Amino acid sequence: MVAPLVVDRQPVRERQLVRFLLFGVVALLGVSGLLTRLVYLQLASSQAYQAKAEQNRTVKQAIPSSRGLVYDRTGRLLVANEPSYSVKIRPADLPFSQRDQVVARLAALLAIDPADINTMIDSNPGSRFDPVRIATDVPVATANFIAEEHLALPGVEIVVEPKRNYLFGPLLAQVLGYTGAIDADTLKQLQGQGYLPDDLIGRAGVESTYESTLRGVYGLETVERDATGRRLQVLTTDRAAQAGDSLKLTIDTKEQLLAQKAVQWAMQKSGLKRGVMIVMNPQTGEILAMVSLPTYDDNKFAQGISRKDFQALIANRDHPLLNHGINEQFPPGSTYKLVTGVGALTDRKLGPDELVQTRAYLQLGPDKFWDWNRAGFGLLDIKGGFARSSDTFFYQVAARLGIDRLAYWARQFGFGAPTGIDLPGEAPGIVPDERWKQDTFGQAIFPGETFQAGIGQGYDTATALQVLDAYAALANGGRLYRPQVVREILDPEGNVVRAFRPQLIRKIPASAATFEIMRLAAREVVTSGHTYNLRDLPIVVAGKTGTAEFGVRDSKGRLPFHNWFVAFVPKRGDVSKPDSELAVLGFNYDANTVGNSATEMVKYYLQLHFNLKVDLRLDFLMARGNFYGGN
Amino acid sequence: MGVLRAEPVRVREWTARSVGAAWRAFDWQMTIFAVLLVGIGLAMAYSNSVAAGTPILGLRSTFTRGLIWAAVGSVVYVGAVAFDYRWLKTFAWPLYLVNLGLLVASMLIGNGQGGSARWVSILGFQFQFSELAKILMIVVLANYLASRQHALDSLSTILGAGALVVPAIALVMLQPDLGTSLVLGAILAGMLFMSGASLRWLAILSGLIVGAIPFLWANILHDYQKQRLLSFLNPSAADPQGAGYQLAQSQIAVGSGGLFGKGLTNGTQNQLDFLPVQTTDFVFALVAEELGFLGAVLVFSLFIALIWRILLSAWRSRDPFGLCVAAGLASMLVFQLIVNVGMVIGVMPITGIPLPFITHGGASLVSIALGLGILQSINIRQARAEW
Repeated sequence: MVAPLVVDRQPVRERQLVRFLLFGVVALLGVSGLLTRLVYLQLASSQAYQAKAEQNRTVKQAIPSSRGLVYDRTGRLLVANEPSYSVKIRPADLPFSQRDQVVARLAALLAIDPADINTMIDSNPGSRFDPVRIATDVPVATANFIAEEHLALPGVEIVVEPKRNYLFGPLLAQVLGYTGAIDADTLKQLQGQGYLPDDLIGRAGVESTYESTLRGVYGLETVERDATGRRLQVLTTDRAAQAGDSLKLTIDTKEQLLAQKAVQWAMQKSGLKRGVMIVMNPQTGEILAMVSLPTYDDNKFAQGISRKDFQALIANRDHPLLNHGINEQFPPGSTYKLVTGVGALTDRKLGPDELVQTRAYLQLGPDKFWDWNRAGFGLLDIKGGFARSSDTFFYQVAARLGIDRLAYWARQFGFGAPTGIDLPGEAPGIVPDERWKQDTFGQAIFPGETFQAGIGQGYDTATALQVLDAYAALANGGRLYRPQVVREILDPEGNVVRAFRPQLIRKIPASAATFEIMRLAAREVVTSGHTYNLRDLPIVVAGKTGTAEFGVRDSKGRLPFHNWFVAFVPKRGDVSKPDSELAVLGFNYDANTVGNSATEMVKYYLQLHFNLKVDLRLDFLMARGNFYGGN
Repeated sequence: MGVLRAEPVRVREWTARSVGAAWRAFDWQMTIFAVLLVGIGLAMAYSNSVAAGTPILGLRSTFTRGLIWAAVGSVVYVGAVAFDYRWLKTFAWPLYLVNLGLLVASMLIGNGQGGSARWVSILGFQFQFSELAKILMIVVLANYLASRQHALDSLSTILGAGALVVPAIALVMLQPDLGTSLVLGAILAGMLFMSGASLRWLAILSGLIVGAIPFLWANILHDYQKQRLLSFLNPSAADPQGAGYQLAQSQIAVGSGGLFGKGLTNGTQNQLDFLPVQTTDFVFALVAEELGFLGAVLVFSLFIALIWRILLSAWRSRDPFGLCVAAGLASMLVFQLIVNVGMVIGVMPITGIPLPFITHGGASLVSIALGLGILQSINIRQARAEW
């Protein structure tokens, strides 16, 4: 039974001993090799690897600070924060092989185009580890769906974020602006200040100009995550978030509503496409109301505007996203005669009572420079010339001043440079002079161009706010203030951090007497009947109309025109006193109405503002017609 | 009468003595070391089940499956010990055919990841026949070498052994399973060396094989295999899909374990799923992360002790068949230990070789239990023969 096993034992053993030893040595050498490596990994470099393991499982995550709120001057809340759900993707946690699938599923859940999601991921300004914002303010049900499917949607996360709620929407959108996703270029500049690639940033209005005030300081926390990127728990809070400060605007929501009502009435009545009204306190530069129509709903941006809606806003030829009162410049027309008048009086090119012969036209070589009524007004002094808005009067005065002095005075009144209002994108306007003409066209100014410049035509352009600010300076006796829309900055507890202080740009170097003459002249604009029944209002109003040609002549050689009217109301009914606390500007783009629609619009606002029992609106002036030549 | 009286006494004595001898010859140390290694494997399976968040004793948990396989392994072990190993010699050729048959069957009905055909599903349990093939190959080779005791010095013995193994290696390569074919090669080399085959010819043939490596590299290996083989030279955590990521993460796991480890179920690399294939090929990373350097040293010590006991069995074996079986098992364990751990700690290429006992997987455990059981069967039956 055991026989086959019994072989010669001794020789077998002796032959194999060396081999056994060798085998053992090889095995032990192998294990020693492994141990050496383990000593290196686990004992010598253990701390470095522990750090790597920590780095693996933890992410530093910003704690957004709560953004400051916005109130109007009466303390009415205009912008609030509300919780909302956002969908983000962390590309590093989205395996490439599953990307199409995940994107398709997510697109279906969010009811958006998968191509849009891919674009968002690919244009992600941050690194692959930074979450990319896919959708903002998704409905709770959708957020729940996505959260439940997180296993099938690697890299996708639902984040609770505060959302801006603009309580008055379109009424104040031009002033308040909105917050939106930060773009790559801005991020590059602001990353050092703690901005995140998926961050929101003020993109328009005071949300933009007061971004750093409203934002506060983000905190930082360390969060544990697993290999799929899911956040498991907060390990430590490295730095607490610091809430942003709040803004109290100079805007009075009530005045804003009244101004909007007036502009809407005028636009509807005359079929206008764009309208502007700005109300200001000339004594301080505070903007009480600022309406620019058409407007938009900034809440759409807060919710993450769809591409379609955004395209519609961009494609709208009347540019709802622009604040037409400050972002665009137009020829100021006859409102500019204030500059010409004050300049000529101060430079002593025109005496306060000097009479100037006005005519149907002035002949300059082959060209005729017509007065607007094509007849002239006879002999006029400055008040009469201003009141009747005689073009031939101001052609002559401008020629006496010369283009460079005219430009000097224009700049003194704030034309040709942004007013410095605390809103973004202000246009500078153009004040032509010899140097500008040379730089721009390589030619000297022609005498006819000086004529044009004297009546706010030709090369002259200005923003509505510049025109208003110039008249505010007239109303207050010559102080040009920087217009402001934010009155105070409040800390999160409501304490005033920055109190309101009027900011004087300059004292215009003209005498009080000169300004008084011009205020009386502006009053005469109303009393002379140039503005029809405005003189019948039971309050004292002074102001100046403007009809500014632009664009291309029609078949009868007529140009389309904008309507201006800028007015101020002396506090005690005495226009000789620089005590006005209310200046109003109305501007209608491409108006072409029988009368000056802007005057009717401002009249309506004043009726509403002063709660007057009379209604002097003249509908026939608002009719769309080929009225041409009235100033 | 005396005879009549003596018979039962003698029978009883013989039985008692032979059972006693068998008891004494049964290598308890070997068994205990193997059981401790299995225990460590179960601890790792437990930790992994905690990480997965499924009920620890649920049917689908890694831990439960580990327990089931440990139980199956125990039964197989006891059965193999009780089985008279000499029958294996009788059935060596049928076993060989069964062996190749299993490998062909894996090719035909097997399934696995990435187009490979390694796994065969049995009652919902994945079984890798190539693991069993290693043990059967050891038995077949041991039988062959034992029968060639008179001609161990000749080249023909070496070539004959090679001829037995090459079909198996080829079938495993086709699956494709590079790791197992390397293990088969290591088994062949170890058994030839320990059985006393000609060193001269072994050296010459080894030289030829090393010389053929560039050819094999160019013609036999798949691109993904080459990529995995090379990735250990330059591991990178950047691409979560790549082999370099596994390697970088496993080294982080090992390194961050430190001296004492993070504690069972506390390994962040494991619990948070940064560690790929935690319970199979990369299980040692889990050991090193949660049990630390000391845990790793414990695993090494148990392996060395176990291999020591196996070599001791080989040394004591009076039957060259027993020596060869022991040599085959020892070669297999040493090779798999070094290559698997070397892979996890980044000094060896990734080849997909399991860590015996500890890697979660029924085939590996049951096959080793079978191999050790056969060795024990040889131990105790030789003791009886000696008496």
